[in-house]
Amino acid sequence: MDFVLQQLLTGLSIGSILLLVALGLAIIYGTMGVINMAHGEFLMLGAYGAWALKAFFGLGLLESLVIIFIGVAALGYLVERGVIQFLYKRPLDTILATWGIGVILQQSARLLAGGELRYVEMPSILIGQVNIFGVSVAGYRVFIFAFVAAMFAITWFLFYRTSFGMKLRAVVQDQSMASCFGINAKRIYSLTFAYGAGLAGLAGALVAPLKSVSPEMGTTYVVDAFFVVVLGGAQSLFGTVASATLLGEMNGVLAYWYNDTIAKALVLLAIVVLIRFRPQGLFSTRIRS
Amino acid sequence: MALPSKSGLPISRQTLIQLIVYGLVCLAIFIFPFILDNDFLLNRYARYLVLAMVAMALSLSWGYAGILNLGQAMAFGLGSYCMAMALKLRTVPVHTGAGGLPDFMVWNNVESLPWFWVPFYNMPFAIIAGIGVPVAVSFLLGWFMFKGRITGVYVAIITLAALVVANLLIIDAQSVTGGFNGITDLAQLELFGFTFDAYSKSTYFLVAGCLTVSLFVALMVTKSKAGLVLQAVRDHEDRVRFFGYDVASFKVLAFCVSAGIAGLAGMLYTVVLEFASPTFLDVSLSLSIVIWVAVGGRQSLLGAALGAILVAGTQSSLQENEFFLDTWMLIMGALFVLVVLFLPNGLASLVDIIGRALKRGRGPAQRSTSSPAQTSEPAEANVSKQGAE
Repeated sequence: MDFVLQQLLTGLSIGSILLLVALGLAIIYGTMGVINMAHGEFLMLGAYGAWALKAFFGLGLLESLVIIFIGVAALGYLVERGVIQFLYKRPLDTILATWGIGVILQQSARLLAGGELRYVEMPSILIGQVNIFGVSVAGYRVFIFAFVAAMFAITWFLFYRTSFGMKLRAVVQDQSMASCFGINAKRIYSLTFAYGAGLAGLAGALVAPLKSVSPEMGTTYVVDAFFVVVLGGAQSLFGTVASATLLGEMNGVLAYWYNDTIAKALVLLAIVVLIRFRPQGLFSTRIRS
Repeated sequence: MALPSKSGLPISRQTLIQLIVYGLVCLAIFIFPFILDNDFLLNRYARYLVLAMVAMALSLSWGYAGILNLGQAMAFGLGSYCMAMALKLRTVPVHTGAGGLPDFMVWNNVESLPWFWVPFYNMPFAIIAGIGVPVAVSFLLGWFMFKGRITGVYVAIITLAALVVANLLIIDAQSVTGGFNGITDLAQLELFGFTFDAYSKSTYFLVAGCLTVSLFVALMVTKSKAGLVLQAVRDHEDRVRFFGYDVASFKVLAFCVSAGIAGLAGMLYTVVLEFASPTFLDVSLSLSIVIWVAVGGRQSLLGAALGAILVAGTQSSLQENEFFLDTWMLIMGALFVLVVLFLPNGLASLVDIIGRALKRGRGPAQRSTSSPAQTSEPAEANVSKQGAE
């Protein structure tokens, strides 16, 4: 029993990190149909932000989070204003343009912070182990789980309980009709993109203590995050949660039976098959296109 | 002005111009080694030509059929591994383990040659496999996707996932594929009693010949009826379907031809670089191919090929320069964003843009096509306008 629980918790931990990375991507893709290849680099910048704030200003990880969120969101806003807004009519080209932006950000990080690996300390209060039903789990992973749950709740509230969210949903449903009612769709898009980028920055800061920080770190996360988003279905926040949990658990369970590589390959194959039969994602809401 | 289409030739004026330009470029590629007599540099240029080939293959599926294949490197890598396996089995026994077993298998405690390595003793089989395996895999994947009417972003995601799977499996099966290290210490390719040394004119000409042939084969495909249907599919898939065409089969065809050319390019890559490695199937190479095609012009086979040569060439020459060592990636990224924003059809579309500007500059007489007074001029302007499109 302990063993099953252990596997479940490992899967949940992987899933919560996946969700953290994928949430921002899902919002951007779901709202604007933009596949943001620079998402991984926003994440990387968040991780470097955590490192730099500690190294130069002595700020701990938890205190840095707000600054990182604002900083990366501001950068996202600029990227949207500068490049993305011209490409809404050519959604496939956003893949290419954001990839170019990603290359620029990656190289800038390499130039400014150096190519060597950086390390971010875990907040000292979160280092210990937590006992859950007789299974001990790293405290930091529990923290990430709780943090992701909170971020998700905030995002949900923002989307479904505020006037900004209502406007956003209206724009997603029918942009020209929403514009006729006086909603500034451009502004909504910019702010949403910034919010998604900010979430990526937070994700980067939070995963930084688990692994080392390097300019290339974003690429590994972003590919997985894409699969989560596409599998979950656009426009569906809960779909993203479900698919992140599903993929996390699958990864955890399969990695126990086979090895990490085979587990990943099998998960990807499952994704390919799922997309083939449900391209709209597992959970999708109807929208007018 | 005499128009070839009126003089009874079976091809249009535009096709003729295209053929001439393609022919001239290929000729230039063949003349090049006589100007530059440096085997080291020739090896490098041969590498660019191989990359041009795989970019051209992507332009065939992306630019002409609208299939954004983010996993183009899969076909490329599979081809390269087929060639590497054949060449590994031809190395002199010193480089390999006991009984001719490849060295990395000995290190991985493999007792005997795996069954799927055995046929690669036969070079013609290896060459057929180098094209056939990528085509077969792409056929299955393409059939699986396009029969399900998967389009756009989802094709991109599925091909990307397939690429990552192939990459993971090759790295994981270390005992039979060499894992992270790939397959190294290869023999030189021998065909028809001729040895292709990677650092010599012979390999360069082999690559140039394959590029020329595949360029013209691809051009023929785009000019065939199937090619026209594919372009119609790209522009409006549903309408073509309503006309009764089996859209999925046409897409599978384009996907497979593209994979075949990429597989051939992969085999040549192994010959030129003298090894095969899992980096030939990694996501960054695959995305680079997309970049080259986008920069060169996705709707022009030659544009895509030249885009690859241009970007890959600039990249490695900038990397050697002290000043650009750190900044070339910034420049490439910025250039790329600019091309996507302002030249969605790549540098190849500059030719059209300049052509149109020149035509406009030739005076207002030709532009006022609505004027009935000018009888012959408007007709010609119309014809040449059609030619430009």
